[in-house]
Amino acid sequence: MSKQEQLQQLLGELKAALPELKEIIVASSDGLPVAQLGESEIATRLAAMAATAHGLGKRIATTTHLGNLVEIVIRGDQAYFIAYAIGDKGILGLTTPAGSNLGLVRLEAQEYARKLAGIL
Amino acid sequence: MEPLKIVITGPVGAGKSTLIRTLSETEVVDTDAIATEAIGKPTTTVALDHGTLRLDGHLLHLFGTPGQERFDFMWEILAEGALGILLMVRADRPETLPVARNILDFIKSRAPVPYVVGVTHLDQPKVWQPEEVALFLGTPLEHTQGLDPRRPEEAVRPLVRLLELIGTNA
Ligand SMILES: Nc1nc2c(ncn2[C@@H]2O[C@H](COP(=O)(O)OP(=O)(O)O)[C@@H](O)[C@H]2O)c(=O)[nH]1
Ligand SMILES: [Mg+2]
Repeated sequence: MSKQEQLQQLLGELKAALPELKEIIVASSDGLPVAQLGESEIATRLAAMAATAHGLGKRIATTTHLGNLVEIVIRGDQAYFIAYAIGDKGILGLTTPAGSNLGLVRLEAQEYARKLAGIL
Repeated sequence: MEPLKIVITGPVGAGKSTLIRTLSETEVVDTDAIATEAIGKPTTTVALDHGTLRLDGHLLHLFGTPGQERFDFMWEILAEGALGILLMVRADRPETLPVARNILDFIKSRAPVPYVVGVTHLDQPKVWQPEEVALFLGTPLEHTQGLDPRRPEEAVRPLVRLLELIGTNA
């Protein structure tokens, strides 16, 4: 299986585990789209923004002595955007509706970020 | 001292982050991430650079932008409230000048404020002179300056010029 197919398969598994997820993207650390599941028109933009949010989050974490950055959460009144680092090569970003089981989403997403790190 | 917000922009590798690192008197915020494209350097700015500098009785807040078009939302965010723009371009990469022009137009449409052009990498072989860059960009020659952003005394020059322009504009 190609790297792309492996990434796509993992995103499919994540979606199967959490069917409420809307957008799932893998971005490179510098904001290029690597893999996606969801609306393709916003995926490219979301990849760049995920890298920005993550890069800035890391700096906020060090400046305010939070330790290492664990996750980025943007909370809207209708849904969340959540992002995790995939090693130091990329970022896993996803959106999930308000009212989702956030504990479960976080657990699964972190687990898949680890799996993705083995492929990227 | 009244703070003045200055946006430092331009294509990848022009020396925006370098200039802010050279000049800032406060700890620099940089957001460089590992580059996965061949851009001629290992990292690239994904959000912003920030530093401050006192100059001629003003406190300058320098906000550096990412260079790639995919980060145009950051150009827009950082342009908010800017009082001057420093557009940086590489003399040895004239093929990036249309990108530079595009960034300048984008930011000027949101912050119609004075700007200067800083031309870097003039020490490299086969370069365009600042006059040629000005001609290509259609910008006034007196607003265009060569500099090596690694040298403090040169890095500050376009900002001095920009302050003059902001002063006469006000
Ligand atoms: N030879 C030479 N190198 C330069 C000059 N200006 C910047 N650089 C180098 O070019 C690279 C520019 O990188 P950076 O500041 O990250 O560019 P940015 O993408 O505009 O933020 C750095 O490695 C600098 O040391 C210059 O005038 N001459
Ligand atoms: Mg930079």
